[in-house]
Amino acid sequence: MQKGEMYVGWSTKEDVRKRGGSGGLVTSMLAAALEKKLVDAVVVLKKINEFEAVPIITSDVNEVLNSAGSLHSVPSNFAKLIADRNLKVALPAKGCDTRAIIEQGKRNAINLDNTYIVGLNCGGSMHPVVTREMLEVMYKIKPEDVHGEEIEKGKLIFETKDGKEHAITIDELEEKGYGRRESCRYCTIKVPNNSDIACGNWGVTGDLAGKATFVEINSDKGAKLLQNAVDAGYVQVQKPDEKGVAMRAKIKGVMEDLGKKWKAKIFVPMDNRLEFFRKELENCIDCGACKTVCPTCSCGEVSKCTEFHMRGDAYKMSMYHLVRFTHLADACIGCGQCSDVCPVDIPLTRLYMMFANPIQEQLKYEPGMDMRKPPYFEVKLND
Amino acid sequence: MSTDAKSNPSNGWEPKIVAFCCNWCSYGGADSAGMGRFQQPASARIIRVMCSGRIDPLHVFNAFLEGADAVLVTGCHIGDCHYVNGNDKTKIKYKYLENVVRELGIEKERLQLNWISASEGEKFANFIRDVTAQIKKIGPSPLKPEGVV
Repeated sequence: MQKGEMYVGWSTKEDVRKRGGSGGLVTSMLAAALEKKLVDAVVVLKKINEFEAVPIITSDVNEVLNSAGSLHSVPSNFAKLIADRNLKVALPAKGCDTRAIIEQGKRNAINLDNTYIVGLNCGGSMHPVVTREMLEVMYKIKPEDVHGEEIEKGKLIFETKDGKEHAITIDELEEKGYGRRESCRYCTIKVPNNSDIACGNWGVTGDLAGKATFVEINSDKGAKLLQNAVDAGYVQVQKPDEKGVAMRAKIKGVMEDLGKKWKAKIFVPMDNRLEFFRKELENCIDCGACKTVCPTCSCGEVSKCTEFHMRGDAYKMSMYHLVRFTHLADACIGCGQCSDVCPVDIPLTRLYMMFANPIQEQLKYEPGMDMRKPPYFEVKLND
Repeated sequence: MSTDAKSNPSNGWEPKIVAFCCNWCSYGGADSAGMGRFQQPASARIIRVMCSGRIDPLHVFNAFLEGADAVLVTGCHIGDCHYVNGNDKTKIKYKYLENVVRELGIEKERLQLNWISASEGEKFANFIRDVTAQIKKIGPSPLKPEGVV
């Protein structure tokens, strides 16, 4: 196995296959890496209920196998969890997790040589609180009755405990303000080709549909990870058919175009911007949660944005936010964590992206996609 | 309000301009503007820094938030930096700074970059004069705190 190859694979373990999404390949691959001592630890989500889960770092193979299954309404980001710990770790990562991990790698907080990033194709995730509300308003079912969820053919399907399926198209949900988080709608990284190995159910055809995972190997580390899982007998793979490869490329293209459309729709040029920003930020209570959760920030406790901000200054714009707007112009990956945690519901990700989009376009620099350093650090002594 | 009368351009309102000058070139430029007796308005407040690379976006934001109507970033010509490539870094940093200030909705005249060498006294005086005229036309900065003229 080597870089650039594609496979279709599934777990050899019956119960993982049953509980996990799309054949449980990712779960088994992580478990195999742990079992064969390729890594010391694995990051998985420990499920509390359908809407809540906590990310944990574990070295217990059974815990990894038990974590099987996908959750669309737990928008976590693993990058900060493994930063500054110097772990030899394998972890599943959506596009934004992968970008955040690479950004932390550039800041020397994560050693990327020791980190196996299992990329997951991601069409978007949902906010747990919004999802609960959506279930009551749109689906007319109690959030507690939900047993499982799935996204298929543009429809969001919830399965209740009595075995019934409730489906509504995502377009319809998003029209009403529910559905995916805003940052996921305009995200254009649907297949994380910046990770070591990109996994997902797009491109699995025929009898295997829903029972296997399509894998694209993006790096030597990824090849090592999959080979290890096959050798350990955790995973079975086969070559994908041409139809599947074409289908995957098509879905990828459609999803990315949709993301671009949303981007054009959300980021419209506007007048009176200063008033707009002042209005959006007027409720800010200086809690600092957006900085604490930001997966690309590695400044630590004492940082420029907090140390030079004093509420008593009563400036017309908050210094904290001005510094963060500048700082994130070359670092914002649009993961949406800041909007999620904001206690006064400021759409921070959108604000950060308003500053980040033009300059990232101008300098042709996209954070988190490769190991290229921010343009400022490209000025060298002998230039 | 009395501040309105004072900040009305027709009432002889003078803009406040904060000019960051690097020690080796543009500060010398300001000096030779004085020695050469080139007339310039008294609107600029010069802050000397050792290199234009020292100018942090934070300094510029602070100047605006404390009531500056315009902020000028000046330094040595590219290739002439006393610290080899300090102004190359300024150039990139300025792009980010400019982007934030523009996106905030602040007029582009309020933040300007210029390379001025120690011998270009006339250029410095003209620069200050031009900026002052531009700012007089567009009026006080929207970021100026209440009560500051």
